[in-house]
Amino acid sequence: MSERINRLQIPMEELTITPGSACQGCGAALAARLVFKAIGPNAIRHRIPCCPDSTTAHPSANSVFESGGAMLTGTWRGLKAIGRTDVQVVGFFGDGGTYDIGFQSLSAAAERNENIWVITKDNEAYMNTGNQRSGATPIFARTSTTPVGSVIKGKQMRKKKIAKIFAAHGIPYIATTSVGYPEDLIAKINYGKTVEGFKMLIIQSPCPVGWRYDGSKTIAMARLGVQTGIWPLFEIIDGEKFKLNYKPRELKPVTEYLKPQARFRHLTDENISLIQEDTAKEWETLLKSDELGRVLL
Amino acid sequence: MVGNKATATAVKLARVQVASAFPVTPQTTITEYLSDMVANGELDAEFVNVEGELSSHVVVQAASRVGARTFVCTSGPGQLYMHHPMHQTSDNRLPVVMATVHRGNKGMMPDHTDLMSQLWTGWMQFYVEHNQEALDTCLMSYKIAEDERVRLPIAFGYDGYVLSYTAEPVEIPDQKDVDDWLPPYKAMPSILPDEVLPENLGGRWDRSDPQKRWQEHHEAIVNAKDVIVEVNESYGKKFGRSYGNGLTEEYRTEGAEAVLVAMGSLTGTARAAIDRLRDDGLNVGLVKLRCFLPFPKEDFQEIGKKVGAIGMIDRNVCLGHGGAAYTQIRNAIYDLEERPSVLEFIAGMGGKEVRVDDIYKIGKKTLKAAKSGGVSTSTEWV
Repeated sequence: MSERINRLQIPMEELTITPGSACQGCGAALAARLVFKAIGPNAIRHRIPCCPDSTTAHPSANSVFESGGAMLTGTWRGLKAIGRTDVQVVGFFGDGGTYDIGFQSLSAAAERNENIWVITKDNEAYMNTGNQRSGATPIFARTSTTPVGSVIKGKQMRKKKIAKIFAAHGIPYIATTSVGYPEDLIAKINYGKTVEGFKMLIIQSPCPVGWRYDGSKTIAMARLGVQTGIWPLFEIIDGEKFKLNYKPRELKPVTEYLKPQARFRHLTDENISLIQEDTAKEWETLLKSDELGRVLL
Repeated sequence: MVGNKATATAVKLARVQVASAFPVTPQTTITEYLSDMVANGELDAEFVNVEGELSSHVVVQAASRVGARTFVCTSGPGQLYMHHPMHQTSDNRLPVVMATVHRGNKGMMPDHTDLMSQLWTGWMQFYVEHNQEALDTCLMSYKIAEDERVRLPIAFGYDGYVLSYTAEPVEIPDQKDVDDWLPPYKAMPSILPDEVLPENLGGRWDRSDPQKRWQEHHEAIVNAKDVIVEVNESYGKKFGRSYGNGLTEEYRTEGAEAVLVAMGSLTGTARAAIDRLRDDGLNVGLVKLRCFLPFPKEDFQEIGKKVGAIGMIDRNVCLGHGGAAYTQIRNAIYDLEERPSVLEFIAGMGGKEVRVDDIYKIGKKTLKAAKSGGVSTSTEWV
C-alpha cells in the first residue's frame, strides 16, 4: 500500500456542507471531510447516533443506534432490487455504533459479506453524550463513567482489537488509518472502492474535548498515536493477507502520546509501563505478521 | 392452505423486492416458504437472513427508503424486539408491510398483546379472521400503504397456530390481475444521489416545529380510513372478495338489540355463537373489528345508535387499563346523545380456549344489558 501513496490523489472537490457543528479541533470532522472526498458524490451516507462531525452533500438517512449493519444491508439490497448497483453505500459511524451497541448487526452484515462500506471514526469514548467509556476506550483512560476516584482510577479494561475481530469474519478488506496520515486514509478508500463486498476502515480521530488536550494539536496527537505504536496503520485482505503500512525504525515511547492528554494525567509509572509493554508486544506481532504477509492474533 | 403459506403467497403475488425476517414460532414457516420461493426462482427478490428481528426490521426500512417494495414478519417476542425501529419506519412514512403471527407476551400461545404493544409506534393495524383474509389483507395493505395520500406502514395480525399452521381453503388471485391492480412502488422523496432534492442533502430536516411531525403523522393515520374503504371496494370489484367496509364487517346485525364485537380468529367462533343465539330467537348481531388503527370511531357511533348494548371481546389487555378495543368503543360512543351500554369481556388470553358456548353466554349477557341498561363496568374474564 505505501508505494501507492501519493499526495496528489487527494481530490480537490469539497463535499463538506458548512457550517458544521463539530467542536474546534475535531478529528472526526476531518475524517469525514477526507473520507467523502475520496468516496465521491455517488453514494448514500448513513448515520446512526454519534458526534456531529461533518455533514457532506450526500443523501443521508438515519436509523436506530443499534442497526448500522442492517441499515446498510437494506440500502444495498434495495439498490440491487431496483437496479442501481452503481451507488455506493457508506456508513460513517462512531466507536459506540461499531464496537458496542452496533456490533451485532455489523457482525451479521460482515458474515453475509454485504457490499457496503463501514467507516468508523474512533474517538475512544461516547463523545456525543459527553465522554462516557466505550469498548474503544483504552485502558486507564479517564472518562465520565470511568472517573479517577480514590479507589478506582480510570478504565480497568483494555480496548477491543476491533480490526482483528472483523478480519476474523473473513471480510475482503479492513484497514486502520488516522487523520494524521491523510494520504494513507485516501489511498485506503481508493483501494476499497475497487473491492466488492464488506469493506471497513477504522480511523483514529482524536477528540480534544474528551481527551483533554489543546485543540490545535489534533494532527500532532494523531501522528504520535501512530509513531508510538499505540495506533498502528495496517490492512488485512480476505481476513488473512496482512500489511503494516507504517514502519518506523524505532517507535517513540508511549509517554510522548500519553503525557499531553489529561485523560491519562493520573497514570502511575506502573500503568505507563503496562501500556508500553502491551504496545511493544502488539508491535512485535504486527511486524511478524507483516513479514509473513499473514495476520497473527 | 395454512395461514403462513397464504401470507407468503400474497408476498409473491405482490412482487415484493426485499424481504427480511428472523425465525420465531409461530411465524417461522413464512421465512421458509419465502426462502424456497427465492431459491426456486418463483420470487425475484432479495430475502435477507438476519441475526435478529431488529435487524430484519431495519433492513426493510432501509430498502423501502431507496424504492424497493418490502415485507417483514414476526411473532410475540420478535415483535417486541423490533419495537424501536418501528417508530422510524412510520416517522419516515415508509410503506413497509408486516405480518404479525400472534403469540402473546406471556407464553407461546396466541393473544393480541404482541401487536397491541406497538399501538404507539404510528403503524396502521389490521386483525384478520381467516387465511383467505390474511392473503387478501396482505395485498390490500400494499395498495393502502403505498397510496400517496397515506404513505404509512401497515401490520396485519392473525392468530398463531389457530391460523398459521391450520389449513383452510384459500382462493389465490391470478398474478396478472394482481399486477393490473397493484402498480409498482416508487420511493418519495427519492434518496438516490442523482434524484435527491438539494435541500435534503446531508440528511438535514426542519426542526423548527417538532410537534408538527406528530400532528401530521396522526392526521395521516386518521385520514387513511377513506383510502382503506376505497381499496376494500376496489379489491372486491377486482377479485370478488371484500370485508365489510374494510374497517368493520357486520354479521347478522339486522334488527339486533345488542351486538358483540370480536377481532381475529375469535370472530369465526363468534359467528357460530350468533347463529345459535338467532336460532333461539335472541336478537344479537356481530361486528368484526378488522382495522384497529385508525380506529373506526364513526362505525361504532352508527352501531351505537341502533343497539342497546355492545359486548366487546378483547383478546388483549392493557394491564391497568383494560381491553384496548373496549376502551376505544366506549370513547367512540360517548359523543352520542343516547348511549348503549358497553360490556368488557377478555377472552382467549395466552391461547386459552374460547368455545361457541362461551360466546353464546356473552351474547345473552349483552342482550340482558340492552334490555335493562345500567350494567356494571367491571371486566369479565371469560
